[in-house]
Amino acid sequence: MTFKVHRSQGFPLDAGNIERMAQATIAEQVERVPRRGRDRQSSLAYTLVFMIVAYLGVFILFPIVQQVLTSFSNNVVGINEVTWVGLRNYERLLDDPKFWVAVRVTFTYMAFVMTGSVIIGLGAALLLNRQFRGRNMARSVIAVPWAFPEISAVLVFIWMCNPTFGVLNMLALMFPGVETNPNWLTDPNMAMPLVIVISIWKAFPFAFLVILASLQAIPRDLYEAAEVDGASKLQMLRYITIPEITPTLLLMSVLMAIFSFKQFTLIWLTTGGGPYGGITETMVLRIYQTAFRFFDLAYGATLGVAAFIIVLGLTLLFVYAQHRQDRARKR
Amino acid sequence: MSVIASSSTGNRLRNLGKGVVFYAFIIGFCVIVLFPVYWMIVNAIQPLNHGMQFPPPLFPKEISFLPFITLFENYPVARWLVNSLLLAGMATLIVLALAVLGSFAMTFLKWRGKAAFGLLLLMTQMLPEALVVIPVYAMYSNLGLSDSLPALSLIDAAFILPICIWILKNSFDSIAEEIYEAALIDGCSPLGALLRTLLPLSTPGLVAISVVSFFYAWNEYLFAVTLIQSPDSRPVAVGLASLKVMLDTPIDRVLAAALFFSVFPVVFYLLIQRYIVAGLSAGAVKG
Repeated sequence: MTFKVHRSQGFPLDAGNIERMAQATIAEQVERVPRRGRDRQSSLAYTLVFMIVAYLGVFILFPIVQQVLTSFSNNVVGINEVTWVGLRNYERLLDDPKFWVAVRVTFTYMAFVMTGSVIIGLGAALLLNRQFRGRNMARSVIAVPWAFPEISAVLVFIWMCNPTFGVLNMLALMFPGVETNPNWLTDPNMAMPLVIVISIWKAFPFAFLVILASLQAIPRDLYEAAEVDGASKLQMLRYITIPEITPTLLLMSVLMAIFSFKQFTLIWLTTGGGPYGGITETMVLRIYQTAFRFFDLAYGATLGVAAFIIVLGLTLLFVYAQHRQDRARKR
Repeated sequence: MSVIASSSTGNRLRNLGKGVVFYAFIIGFCVIVLFPVYWMIVNAIQPLNHGMQFPPPLFPKEISFLPFITLFENYPVARWLVNSLLLAGMATLIVLALAVLGSFAMTFLKWRGKAAFGLLLLMTQMLPEALVVIPVYAMYSNLGLSDSLPALSLIDAAFILPICIWILKNSFDSIAEEIYEAALIDGCSPLGALLRTLLPLSTPGLVAISVVSFFYAWNEYLFAVTLIQSPDSRPVAVGLASLKVMLDTPIDRVLAAALFFSVFPVVFYLLIQRYIVAGLSAGAVKG
């Protein structure tokens, strides 16, 4: 709304300026040019931004609002009369053990994927943050999983985990005490760790690329000064490198948490939330299942609102982390 | 003399040892990271009987293009590819148009509400697709837009647009404001200055967002599988996942298809990674 108001104000103001300019002295004209420029600039800006907000509004914001409304109704596919039911869906949510299982699964998955990708990404970045032959090649090799489509990754991992022919069996049989091929993805104890491993494989290169970029932005003279003072390599890592990249690590951790919270395709195609009992069913999978398998649109929307609140929290964390990084960079 | 000489050989040996350990470590790490990709290629280019034995041979014993030939003969892969190209092409065009205008407003124009707009972009880029897939599905069904690739490209573009605005804004940020102002003084309108001076100067950024948005739509699965029902309109992502569900699809063909599907994004992402990462470390995000 506000955008429209500004836009319509722009034209009469401009016209008024032109009229006044015709009678004004040159000195006054010079004074007014920047002001007129600014008005035109902001009316153009509001037109452009309005287009984008309208576009996102139709495809993202409007559906979200619709979800919130649906969560207060009893809308199930096939029902005759849709009515408002107040907070009934939310009461059901709080009493629903499956919801709490999904919350636990989601946060377990997020915690492991986040920690794993940031630590491996940091390790790889530290390793590659020096001059050696083949460095660019190693960097590209490590970036490959990031560029790799999730669906292809899932297909090859499923094949590697095949209980009969999978190549991972060869690795497993090397361990003492393992006599037969494991069941891999259908084994309830292994499904979650495997999904986490696949997710880390896909996610860590992004952390690696960004951390490496921030390592290379550390001023050289800091290390030179430390060398003159006789600091060891380990001391330089502890007192220069780690403090310098802490803001980036924080930002990456939040980002990785958000990415893993959003993750649908990889988990869905690998285990479908199973092997049974929702062992690997995160909240986004639960939302999808509730709506498209059980056709319970209202309850699916309620789960969606719960997920939305978590996303809001994560976004605020991200803004905070970004703010810290900006401050560190300016310093 | 001899003491000094021997100690320097000792040093050199120790350095050499360190170097060997270092390279062994790097190579080992790269081998582990690349192994799944390697395994996919091996199983896609060897005759099926080698993959279907245990233990499987770690190196291909013979090379055959039969998996690819049977794949293209038995499954509508060509159709899927055309659909994906159309879908991703349309999404890219929409994103390019809107991201250029949005980043321009964010970088070069002065207006109030920039921070709020930035926060809105950030919020939408953090949202899981699964949160809106149900209402979007309902909306498209009501409008009779299910099964339509252009309609699917609209929602894909909406989800990748915020990130692309950040990436392009980062590219615009590196252009000195004086260049834009000089174009205005030369008599360009703001949009004229954008077209004639700013865009030619930010080609890498434009290429980066084209690649990001193209392959987002290319890879996207959730919206595609929900909104597209008829087999004729399937993009590759959905077709590929359907191969997995059909239990009778031989694995060599599945992996040949997966390989075919992955080559383009991997090549393009690696070519432009520098520009994307530059945008990313400034706070933008690939989803």
